[in-house]
Amino acid sequence: MSYLVGKIVAVEGVEGSGRTLHAEGIRTYLEEQGYGVITFGLGMSKLLGEAIARKKRDVVFQRRTLFLAYVTDLADQVENLVKPAVESGFVALADGYVLTLMAWGLTRGLERNWMEGVLRALPRPELTLALIAPPEEIMKRIIRKKGVLDPLSSGVDLCVNGDLYQGFRQYLERYLNNMRSLASDKGGVTVDTGRDFKVVQEEINSLVGGDLGEA
Amino acid sequence: MLIAFEGIDGSGKSSQARLLRDWLSMRGDAYLTEWNSSEWIHEVIKEAKKKNALTPLTFSLIHATDFADRYERFIHPMISSGFHVVSDRYVYTAYARDTVRGVDLKWVKELYSFAVRPTITFFIRVTPQVALARLKAGRKTVKPAEAGADVFPGLDPEEGFLKYQGLLLEVYDRLATEEGFVVLDGERTPREVQIEIRRRVGELLSG
Repeated sequence: MSYLVGKIVAVEGVEGSGRTLHAEGIRTYLEEQGYGVITFGLGMSKLLGEAIARKKRDVVFQRRTLFLAYVTDLADQVENLVKPAVESGFVALADGYVLTLMAWGLTRGLERNWMEGVLRALPRPELTLALIAPPEEIMKRIIRKKGVLDPLSSGVDLCVNGDLYQGFRQYLERYLNNMRSLASDKGGVTVDTGRDFKVVQEEINSLVGGDLGEA
Repeated sequence: MLIAFEGIDGSGKSSQARLLRDWLSMRGDAYLTEWNSSEWIHEVIKEAKKKNALTPLTFSLIHATDFADRYERFIHPMISSGFHVVSDRYVYTAYARDTVRGVDLKWVKELYSFAVRPTITFFIRVTPQVALARLKAGRKTVKPAEAGADVFPGLDPEEGFLKYQGLLLEVYDRLATEEGFVVLDGERTPREVQIEIRRRVGELLSG
């Protein structure tokens, strides 16, 4: 295992894949063999860790912002913690590193080339362990641990595609189609308000007046 | 339309950007966004700068995060909706500030490659000497960030300002050609500069 001295070992995987537990296991194992180990990982920096945890829910649809926040978070740890430690012969154990982040980004449509380009700034691990497990097992573990499936980590944001603008636009198209067909099914009158306000109001007035007249 | 303003500290670009936004507001929907102003990242940056906790790499990345937040929340949706967005500093500020700190320009360009190119970029050009004289006339002290205190920790604020802003100006001058900036002589009166800006933007609006 001396090949790991002064190197980074990355334990990668989604929440519930056993990342933290196995990283702890590796740490104990290496320490028993007499190696010095430091642990770092996604969301653990002094600079941004706490801010990300606090703001994550508000920026869940801003994938690029969240991606860059996590890269900054990792870079802060690499520069201030990992570099000095590996230079003095420690093994740096990452609980979530570049693959965890890239898989997250790919699943949300961020460009692979762009992510790889940005992540070039971080050192490559000597050993990468990508943890996977059947989805049912992962979900069972999360329920056991947290009691519920958190909508945020269950990727609820995935139902909106692309960026904020495209996502909202697609939502509006679906909503407006439903409104149109409901109006026609239930005998409502559809009014297009995408025109000049006065013209629309006159049309509405005449519709209202017409109905009153018939009554 | 996206209109970007670039220049060293004290060049007067923020006043010019605001004047243009006011003018555009009378002609349609207009929005002004400033560098380093994301609601949540800005606070983190401020704290980190106070503690001198940023390295060139994290300085670069955290400003990119701030930019991405404003880009995804405001700039991109607004441009897509037909707003005129005026950006007081844009990605070129990062190109200049990051490379002066030793970060590879090619990588910085890649980092910001998601950002749409401005319709027009005004580079308000003044020398560091003129910028310093203006700052001193206005409020007398130079802020550590303006003096590049992290790059030149040993220098007094005024010396640091001249040296740091001088290096930034060199990068801007190179970028001006590479990126096709409209270079404006910022040593004229603010009114003269604004008239030229409005003339240029007016041409774009009618064309």
